[in-house]
Amino acid sequence: MTPEALPPVRSPSDLQAEAAFMHWVRQIVKGAAELRAFEAGQIDAVMDPATGTAILLPEAQAALQGSSRLLLSALDALPGEVCVVDAAGAVVMTNRAWRAFSAARAGAGLGVHEGANFLSACASVGAPERAHADAVAAGLRDVLAGGRQMFRCDYLCHTPDGDCAFTLSIAQIAQDGAVYAVVTRENVSEHKRAAAVSSHGRADASRVAAVARARTPNRVLAALPAREYELLLSGLEPVKLTYGEVLYEPGEQMRHVYFPSDCLVSLLTVVEGHRALEVGLVGREGMVGSRLALGITASSVRTLVQGTGTAVRMKSTRFLKEFRGSPALQRAVLHFTDALMLQVTQTAACNRFHMVEARLARWLLMTHERLGSGVFRLTHEFLADMLGVRRVGVTSAAGALQRRRLIRYQRGIITILDQQGLEAAACTCYRRVQVRGLKPGCDR
Amino acid sequence: MARKRTKAGPAGAPVTTVVVMRLYIAGTAPNSVKAIANLHAICGRYLKDGYKLEIIDVCEHPRRALADGVLVTPSLAKVSPAPTSNVIGNLSDTGSVLAALGLPAGAIE
Repeated sequence: MTPEALPPVRSPSDLQAEAAFMHWVRQIVKGAAELRAFEAGQIDAVMDPATGTAILLPEAQAALQGSSRLLLSALDALPGEVCVVDAAGAVVMTNRAWRAFSAARAGAGLGVHEGANFLSACASVGAPERAHADAVAAGLRDVLAGGRQMFRCDYLCHTPDGDCAFTLSIAQIAQDGAVYAVVTRENVSEHKRAAAVSSHGRADASRVAAVARARTPNRVLAALPAREYELLLSGLEPVKLTYGEVLYEPGEQMRHVYFPSDCLVSLLTVVEGHRALEVGLVGREGMVGSRLALGITASSVRTLVQGTGTAVRMKSTRFLKEFRGSPALQRAVLHFTDALMLQVTQTAACNRFHMVEARLARWLLMTHERLGSGVFRLTHEFLADMLGVRRVGVTSAAGALQRRRLIRYQRGIITILDQQGLEAAACTCYRRVQVRGLKPGCDR
Repeated sequence: MARKRTKAGPAGAPVTTVVVMRLYIAGTAPNSVKAIANLHAICGRYLKDGYKLEIIDVCEHPRRALADGVLVTPSLAKVSPAPTSNVIGNLSDTGSVLAALGLPAGAIE
């Protein structure tokens, strides 16, 4: 199959040479069956006993050359750079991509031209690329010696256009008893860059999520593992809630759930013929709309924003989907729901049995906890509604706390002066509903 | 070469044998490719699973071909059962291939 093995007389275009070749064939092929097949054109090759090689007949050679040309064209069409190295390390064949690379590097480094020696080229590579060139040379020697079938390495190469990452593979092939190595080199800079960008992007997203989670003041969200919080992020929308805004009225479908960051939301129960009474207070320790977790989509209370601030909200449908799929979210939401039920029942008892001054102290402490701030604006009317007492009762109670220097109340602004004193003044209900870890001293 | 007769069983009784063959070819030259296709068709039709075929590329193993006395390619050699026989060419003549393989002429449909 190798051109070198063929006698030079065998050119089909040269009639005299062809006649001479046929004469040579007839000298070797003497059997009747062989001759018949030969006359019928069914013979591809004749063995030459003198050289011990197979000599292809012109037609077979032409056909094989055709298929060789096809193979060479296919090799040229490959995007990777390919060369074939013989047992001595000489480059005997290259594809178009390899030739283009060699031309661009003017044969320097591993841009070896056809006819040059690959091993010598490796030995002459300069300092920055020397280490990988030595490794490639060792790999090539190993493959050519039959020590291994395949060698593969990745290396960086300094080109005029910047650093390029390459993957180089060397595979052994055998032909006519001789060993060759096929060297393929692929520029993987783009893949590496894409992979780096992608992993960088993933790392970035993860970091952003971690930072966002670390910064989220909302305790329900902060309780989630980073991965589960990341899953929620795309469904969370930051919103500003302003004082007096009603999120839901009793019986209304809850279209969103809210996770307060630094706003305060009151849960008010509305009794016909009376003013609304606060039964719960939700801030950064919880969420508004936790009833959804119990499978109920309508609100049972009026939710009124009583402290302007920010929150993140999520559509109820998305929340339900996430809630079903996330055990961590289930734990966090149900934990809060339990705390809220405790608060509601405690508030009911407190409103019935405790003095207005103690109730006011409790309410101020709870607000302080949930807002994370000891200074907030409130009117006596509002406080009267929250506590279910008349305005005059609030004025009297606030005056008493101010006289004890526990709070300052000026022009509608309340400042907590003595946290511990206020706790002592509050009824025992405060300690029962106090949220662990959310003490004003443990602010963000 | 005389065929051995066994005492067991009446003469001409069917005996399960495996036909062992070697096909010498020259790479992907046209007649060699045809020979492989023709032989596979014949074996699949007449021998089913009862054969073993070794394909030898004389371009890769020229010494093997010379040692086996093969001068032209493609060439099919029946190695066993005895008697051995040869068919030269691209094996397009099914009748001569079947005869060389020792299959009864009646097998040809």
